[in-house]
Amino acid sequence: MTTCSVPSGNEIIRISSGIPGLDPMIEGGFPFPAVIMVAGTAGVGKTTFALKYLSEGARRGEQGLYFTTLSEPTQWMLRYASQFKFIDPEMFGDKIIYSDLGAMIRDIEPADLLNIMEEKIAEVMPQRIVIDPISVIGSMMRGNYRAFLFDMANRLKNWNATTVVTGEVLPGELYPSDLGYAVDGIILLLMAEEEGARRKYLEVLKMRGTDHMTGKQSIDINRNDGIVVLKSRF
Amino acid sequence: MNEQDESLMRYIVASLGENTSGPVLFDVNSTQFVRVNLVILKGLLLEKKLNGLFISVDRPHQYMVHLMRMHQIGLERLMFLDAIGRFSADNKICNAGASFVDAPFHIDTLPAAINSMGDDKLNLNSCGFAMIDNLAAMLPYNSFGSVQAFLKMFVEVMTSRGNTIVPLVVDSERCGPLYQAAKSLAVKEIDCRGEAIARATSNSGATRAVEIRKISETRFAAGGR
Repeated sequence: MTTCSVPSGNEIIRISSGIPGLDPMIEGGFPFPAVIMVAGTAGVGKTTFALKYLSEGARRGEQGLYFTTLSEPTQWMLRYASQFKFIDPEMFGDKIIYSDLGAMIRDIEPADLLNIMEEKIAEVMPQRIVIDPISVIGSMMRGNYRAFLFDMANRLKNWNATTVVTGEVLPGELYPSDLGYAVDGIILLLMAEEEGARRKYLEVLKMRGTDHMTGKQSIDINRNDGIVVLKSRF
Repeated sequence: MNEQDESLMRYIVASLGENTSGPVLFDVNSTQFVRVNLVILKGLLLEKKLNGLFISVDRPHQYMVHLMRMHQIGLERLMFLDAIGRFSADNKICNAGASFVDAPFHIDTLPAAINSMGDDKLNLNSCGFAMIDNLAAMLPYNSFGSVQAFLKMFVEVMTSRGNTIVPLVVDSERCGPLYQAAKSLAVKEIDCRGEAIARATSNSGATRAVEIRKISETRFAAGGR
């Protein structure tokens, strides 16, 4: 009987995060399929992270789906996003589909929102999904938000995609605790005031099935690459 | 489905040709399994108008049902055998013809389960195709040797009574040994990796000459392994 040598096919499939310096911290990339939470306070780079993740997929021929919960029209999102050199506006509408959930999430039942999202996923068949930000849904939804998060995380994986959900937190809060148990990975984007300057860091708090690097790593946000883990430069 | 998917379907149907039966190996990137499975199903159900069996191992069958409904692929000709649904505690609801086996740990029981499906669910004599979503998903629950033995038994069961096509979707880069095991049984090998798809689906979606590396057209028909 033949034995299955490495790669046996039993290893976790990984896809590149698109964030320079992050993949080496997590054994080559995000597990596929999986749900990864990127948490941080306002202005720390969560949406930039999400856009770079989708752009990287588009560059590799993978289909992306961007759910926004902010009711922000595509043109406004693109107006800011296009300041990054990695953004190709022609990706939007083709390799990255933009879907606005903002108008639907007020007073919606969890099952109905899940159905709306699944209809879009079934239509687009993405390998990469972003929900940005997830926290808004919790503040507007009727019914059991925790049950919604559990069902959502389970179903997103069965749709054969790796989903990045962004979670907004208040200063001093690490991540939205009601989502932490349901996701496969947690990445913190942190801001700290040191010697009179605000410095930004990235920390991998959880990545299931992955021997990930621990501890805070300095990051930079620039127009060429979006978020860059600085440690990888040295 | 977008135009590229439609082109991929035409590419696959053209690659299969008129008279192919037996195991056909599809080389597919793991991240594209669901998309390519749907495309294969559409080609076999709608273009070739075959009846078929779809065995779910990687995710409950409800997800493929949902995809098929979304993309207007009728379910009348398809029977599901779900090996993961009762194991996953998923509450997604669908309405399609399905049988269940308890868990994906004992794949040696799957051929018997197929044989025991009544004619009202699956008539093996008229079963035009049988596919699994997906072979590699069996590996976390079973040894490689068990999967290899299952594969051989599955192909024998499905092809013993008719001209059944058995699409085997495997990622050659991610699981070389499984790919080779499938290749040793296959009568055709169809490259569905990114570059091959791009080549085959360019030229405004027209079907172009396809890259089929015929392993042995006659070997399977002759019963040789």
